[in-house]
Amino acid sequence: MTATITRQEKITVAPRLPTKAGSNGGMRRRRTSRVLAVIAYLVTFLVITPILWIVLLSFQPSSNILGNPLSPAELTLRNYANAITSLPLFRMYGNTIFIAAVSVTVGTAISFMSAFALTRMVFRRRRVQSSVRFYLLAGLAVPVYILLFPVYQLDLALGVFGTYWALILPYVAVSIPFNTLLMTGFLREFPTEIEEAAIIDGVGLWRLCWTVVLPLMKPVIATILIFNVVYVFNEFPFASILINNPDMVTVSLAVSRFQGQYTVDYGGMMAAATLVLLPQLIIYAIFQRQVIAGMTVGAVKG
Amino acid sequence: MIWVSNRWKILVMLGPALIVFTMFVIYPLAYSGVFSFTRFQGFGEPKWIGWDNYKALLIDPFFWQSLQNTFVILIVSLAVLIPSSFALAMLLQRTIRGGGALRALVFGPAIIAPILVGLIWVFILDPKIGLLNRVLGAFGTPAVPWIGGNYLTPISVSMVFIWSSIGFAMTIFYAGLQLLPADVLEASALDGASGWQQTWHVKIPMMRETFAIVTILMITNVFKIFELVYMLTGGGPVHRSETLVSYMYFVTFTNQQYGYGMALAVIITVLGAIVSIGYLVAARRKEKLA
Repeated sequence: MTATITRQEKITVAPRLPTKAGSNGGMRRRRTSRVLAVIAYLVTFLVITPILWIVLLSFQPSSNILGNPLSPAELTLRNYANAITSLPLFRMYGNTIFIAAVSVTVGTAISFMSAFALTRMVFRRRRVQSSVRFYLLAGLAVPVYILLFPVYQLDLALGVFGTYWALILPYVAVSIPFNTLLMTGFLREFPTEIEEAAIIDGVGLWRLCWTVVLPLMKPVIATILIFNVVYVFNEFPFASILINNPDMVTVSLAVSRFQGQYTVDYGGMMAAATLVLLPQLIIYAIFQRQVIAGMTVGAVKG
Repeated sequence: MIWVSNRWKILVMLGPALIVFTMFVIYPLAYSGVFSFTRFQGFGEPKWIGWDNYKALLIDPFFWQSLQNTFVILIVSLAVLIPSSFALAMLLQRTIRGGGALRALVFGPAIIAPILVGLIWVFILDPKIGLLNRVLGAFGTPAVPWIGGNYLTPISVSMVFIWSSIGFAMTIFYAGLQLLPADVLEASALDGASGWQQTWHVKIPMMRETFAIVTILMITNVFKIFELVYMLTGGGPVHRSETLVSYMYFVTFTNQQYGYGMALAVIITVLGAIVSIGYLVAARRKEKLA
């Protein structure tokens, strides 16, 4: 009620407000807003310039890049032909997708189970429940860099070094704190009536979790999946230490070697960079709303 | 829900997450702490040497250089990023044709792998072939050693960091702006507040929490900068452009001074926590004064 009244008042009162430019106020305001729009377009253009530059140069023969990179005379696809033959594109994407799929699925599933236990199950001692939650959340404050060397040693000791598990296990582990934060936050605020009704209907714990509670959590799960997939896809420090088999390189790892691989073949390097960049940007373009929400929700909730 | 809770079921549900987390986060954390008091070169037994690694850090010029670089990056990035991303959020909040697309484009760099961001910027910053010096050269400016020189690299790293984070910070500010109560803004407009006055005296004070969140996030992210330096200069020449994390990586994995590297890792962790907590305390005190 009050909101509508103020809005109406604004409409009737606004024209009578004193403006510095007098009767020219409207035109002046329109001009400022056009100027501001132009600034917004310029800033955006500036932000995407580096990406455009790479894509532009990837169509130039390497000899042109040093001298005359904007010449439209000799545009070529040869760089792409070179990049495709010299890069194990299929393998590096395959490896990354496999590692991301397994680690994100496992990480989400076990975080979900523990989040369910921490918010829904009744512990003999209440304090144990809240301290376990706090213990998992404390992981949010641990920077990944301090874990690199110990995890390498641990992988060696467990005998998983040289397998995909060397990388999957730490990815699962570092995703748990964030997953726990979002999932316990959601479940705490979500009413339990549906679950209680299901239990009265005779549903056991296992089915309750996977067929009743999990479907209710779709929005949180989507956020968690996006956040973690982006993390694993872009992760470099762990991958650089825990993978030494050239057949197991991830996308980030392959990119880190471009400079050594192509040295002065700048055209080839940029075609390779574009080949890595483009799929990511296309996926981002399709899901941009969800991706932006997924990546910033941690900042807003954390 | 007591019906589905018995000790076994609780253990089965909690167990997997608890075990993986303890093994791959908590145990490594403790392991690093202990290792920071030893000398270990990757063979033989680690030797207990007490505080020697930490004492050595105090007189290691490369450590101080990397510390200085990290703080230069921190200060430059915050000074540019916070006001400009807020201004950009204000700008994009206005009704502009294609505003949604603009926001998505500005956010774009945030989803690109840091390692690829580093590679892309080599072609912008490189003194010989980079775009920046070409543009400057067109105006007659002599080539500037953005990377690879003795002094400028931390500034260039901040530039790249700002590029990759501005959309992210803008998005959080944008969300904060959307949440401002409309009636308060209307009331201040009715009272005759100009756009600037409204921003300074109403919007910014009401968004204090958002500013705190963005600042903390950016501080923690600066302390994680590694791939950018790795790709742009590799820390060189002679460790002059190293950040704390990239120097730690070098000491640990290139030089294989594991004990020394872990001491450095402990320092980075503690320092990052102190800076963040310090900022939070300062922000809260300011809030009380206001």
